[in-house]
Order: sequence, then structure tokens, then C-alpha cells
Amino acid sequence: MTTHDSRSSVKLSLEGVGKSYRLRGDEYIKAIDGISFDVRNNEMCVLLGPSGCGKSTALRLVAGLEIPDEGRLCLDGHPITEPGSERGMVFQAYTSFDWLTVQQNVEYGMRLNRVPRRQRRERAEHFIELVGLSRFRHAHPRQLSGGMKQRVAIARTLANDPSLLLLDEPFGALDAETRWHMQEFMVKVLEESRTTALLVTHDIEEGLFLADRIIFLSRGPGRVVEQIDMSFKKGRRVRSKEELYALDGYAEAERHIMHLMREEGSAGA
Amino acid sequence: MSPRSESPNRTDARPAGETHSARSRRQPWLAIRAPISQGRTLFLGIAIWVIFFGAWWLATALHVTPALLLPSPQKVLATLYHLLASGQFANDIGISIFRIVVSFSLACLVAVPLGIFMGTFRSVEACVNAFVSAWRYLPAPSFIPLLLMWFGTGEISKLALLFIGVVFFLITLVMDHTRAVRQELIETAMTLGGNRRQIVWTVIVPAVLPDVVTAMRQMLAVSWTYLVIAEIMAPTTGIGAMMMRAKRFLETPEILAGIVVIGILGLLFDFGFRKAHRFLFSYLY
Repeated sequence: MTTHDSRSSVKLSLEGVGKSYRLRGDEYIKAIDGISFDVRNNEMCVLLGPSGCGKSTALRLVAGLEIPDEGRLCLDGHPITEPGSERGMVFQAYTSFDWLTVQQNVEYGMRLNRVPRRQRRERAEHFIELVGLSRFRHAHPRQLSGGMKQRVAIARTLANDPSLLLLDEPFGALDAETRWHMQEFMVKVLEESRTTALLVTHDIEEGLFLADRIIFLSRGPGRVVEQIDMSFKKGRRVRSKEELYALDGYAEAERHIMHLMREEGSAGA
Repeated sequence: MSPRSESPNRTDARPAGETHSARSRRQPWLAIRAPISQGRTLFLGIAIWVIFFGAWWLATALHVTPALLLPSPQKVLATLYHLLASGQFANDIGISIFRIVVSFSLACLVAVPLGIFMGTFRSVEACVNAFVSAWRYLPAPSFIPLLLMWFGTGEISKLALLFIGVVFFLITLVMDHTRAVRQELIETAMTLGGNRRQIVWTVIVPAVLPDVVTAMRQMLAVSWTYLVIAEIMAPTTGIGAMMMRAKRFLETPEILAGIVVIGILGLLFDFGFRKAHRFLFSYLY
């Protein structure tokens, strides 16, 4: 713990967090082992690593959907003990509620939290517009494409005003073209909503494109291997893929992570 | 890959002379999983009934079967008309429908909330399922002697049989459907700040309801089966009782008329449930 000043800029902190799952009987497998890192205010932090590195487990612990075996997780200095609306999560699988319209889906979280009807409607309309679905406000999710369903999920989570946005491979189920559209769209959304976010991905390019900082985890059990500052972006957010590719240092950063991926990935593959 | 795009490969293997005609050939009458036109669907659906009644009519017209055991279809139809006109039969039909509606509603009232609870809370499942799964394997008709001793030949024993025959299966079906509600939906509501009560009422219940209504439709068919058994065990009133009376007087046409009515009612109820499903859950269609 350093000065008061630097502590106040920390949104989320993990200290020595570990989690094991039971395979069968007395056999346990360690998913993550002694993970420590911080997420700063207004930062887009990316958890990246080979498959099976426990990055989703780490995110679920932050969401409060799992309980850690050891270590501490704190949001704004308060320990995390259970799921809560201040840590809204977007999942890889589609989670739109089929029985509600787009508008009702986006209002859903606010309804749970008893936000007055009028305010609910206005906020929902704002976020539906932000994700570009105004024309589909009264449509049901079944009528939407995969990318649109994810945009509904993102709008629903943001409309609920989380203090930390959790994204668990939110574009993983989308086709390649939709995915990069959504990634570019995500940059815009994060900027306009000024939300702190923690994103889990195994897609190196996605990580480099979206991240202000990448936390690289090793494969099973997950440990923090390296925290990679996106110094090649010079503190700016990149808005398009072309812009990303044109940056000096991008190729090198990608090569570096690729190398980490191979080293860590091959260990148990 | 669609079957159409595969066909050139298959024709390649054939003799050269056949390739050309194979390409322009019409779809075979029995093409694997290929869609068929609405007209053909309707035609084939009607055809099977025409064949059935044709064979029946032919068997009676040619006196292949004794008229006492198998009257002609037109005789059955005429009997049905007379039965309905007499009023007594309409009464029997009304009573049968009443029994179905009352016993089935009671079964749903118990099974749907219980099944949803069991599918939501492991403790409830562990406790109740240990009980329900045993009862499910006891055939409902095995309770008939007991029900007759307890409740006599009146309405209660019939309703009880119908209830027992449906409720345990319905509980299990609803429980299974509830367990199948995707975990991500529940976790989404959790991270949006939902408490237990909110998650049950605003996620689990609406998510499982379409499947519950389908399960109810399927179990209603079972309910009709037990209805006839119930009305035969103590034949006083109802369609089944009418058929048993007809048997005593060797009135085969009336028995067959009863079967026809049960079939038609079953279809109507099924149709009603399908319509209700479409209406209630229009977002699924």
C-alpha cells in the first residue's frame, strides 16, 4: 500500500487470489494460483492468455459468481462477497431474455433495482441509441442477429450503471467480420460511457486493439506472467483496426504476446 | 452442405450416359429429409384417413367381418348423430370434460410450482424427488381398488385416479425443463443486481413457461387415457361409462362412436393448447 493518492485511482484489486475446482472425488484442479493485479479507474484492462489459463475463472470471481479459496478481491476498497449490480457482466453466450423486447431487455436491470419508470425508459433509449439499435427497440431478441444480441446485452449492462464492466469473451461467438465491427464499436461505447472495464479474451489482436493494459496469464494454474503497457498507443485509444496496424510497435507487441502464448500454451497442450 | 450440392459428386460415379438425365431428374418421391409442398402434406394427411375408412368400409361391405363386431363407418356415424341428438350422450361428454378439466387443473396447480421449485433449489429437489420418482413408477391403475374402498364409486375416486396418473410425471417434466434454463441467464440477472425472488420470477419462470405449457399439452393426452379407465372402473356416467353400457347390450356402433368422440376431443384439446402456446409465447414463432 503506497500513498493515499494512488490507492484512490484503483478501481479493482486482486491480492493473491486462488481458486480450485473439484474434478472427481478428492481430485482438485487449480484454475488460478495467487493472482494479484489492479484495474485503475476508467481503464480498459484485458486478461489475456492461452485457453485453460483460468482467465474466465478470475472474471467470475470478480463478478462474485464464484468464491475464492484464498486471497482478497476489492472493488473501490470494499471486499467482493457476492454478485452485485456494480459489477455488470456480459457473457460469451447470448443472454438476451427472449420474452422481452429490446427495450424491456435494456430496462431489465433498472427494473430489478427499482429505478423509476420514466428514468428507466429514458436511460434505456439512450443506451439503445448508443449501440445503434433504435430501429429494433420493439423487436424480440429472436429476430436479431448474433452481433445485435450482444449489443443488447452490452446496452443492458451499461444502462444499469455498473462501476466496473465485466466482459467474458463477448465477441467469441460472432463471425470474424461482425467481431471486428463490434470491437471498434466497443471502443466508442467505452469512451462515451466512461466505464472501467475488464475484458477476458484469448484473441491477441482483440486484446491489443481494446486494451489500455494487458495482464497476461499463464496456463493452468493461471498466474500473472506479465503486465503489458500499451506504450505503442501513446496513451490514446485506437479507433479502427487500420489505425492499430499502422502504429509503430504494434507488430512487435503482437509478436511478443504470440511468443508468450506459445511458451505458456504448449506447456500442457 | 446441402443435398443438392452433393448430387453432382454422386452422379460422377455413375456411367456417363446416365449423368445427363440424372442432373435433370426430378426429386425422388422419398427424398431424404427434403422439404415437401403444403399441398402434398395436406394430401398425404388426408390420404391415410381415406385409406383407413376405405378399408373399414370395404371390410363391412364385403362382409369380411361380422357386422355385430364391426359395424360400417356410416352406421357408426349415424349412431353418433342419434346419440348426440338424444341429449344423454352430450351429458356424458360434458361430465367427462369436467373430470378432465378439474383433475388436470389440480395436477397442474401442484406440479408446476413444485417442479419449478425443484428445478431451482437443489435442496427441494433432493427431498421431493426421492418421493416423486418412486411414485412415478407405480402405475396409477394399481390404486383403483384402494380408491374404490376409500372414496367409493363417486366422483372423488375418478378425479383422484386422473390426478395420480398425471401429477408425478408432470412434476418431473417441469423440474427437468426448469433445470435446463440456461445458467448464463440466471447469472446475468445476478450481475444486474437481482435477488433470489426476482430471479425466480423474472428469469426462471418466464424462461421455462413455454416448455411447461408444452409439457402440459403432452400430459393432457395421458389424462384422457386415465379418464376412460376411471369411467370403466365404476361405470355410472361419462363417455367411458356409456361405452361400457353399450357393450352390455352389444351396441358396437355406440362403442365406436364413443371412441371417435374421445379422439376428436383429444385433438381439440391438443389444438387448443397449441393455439394458446402460439398466443402466449408469440416471441418464439
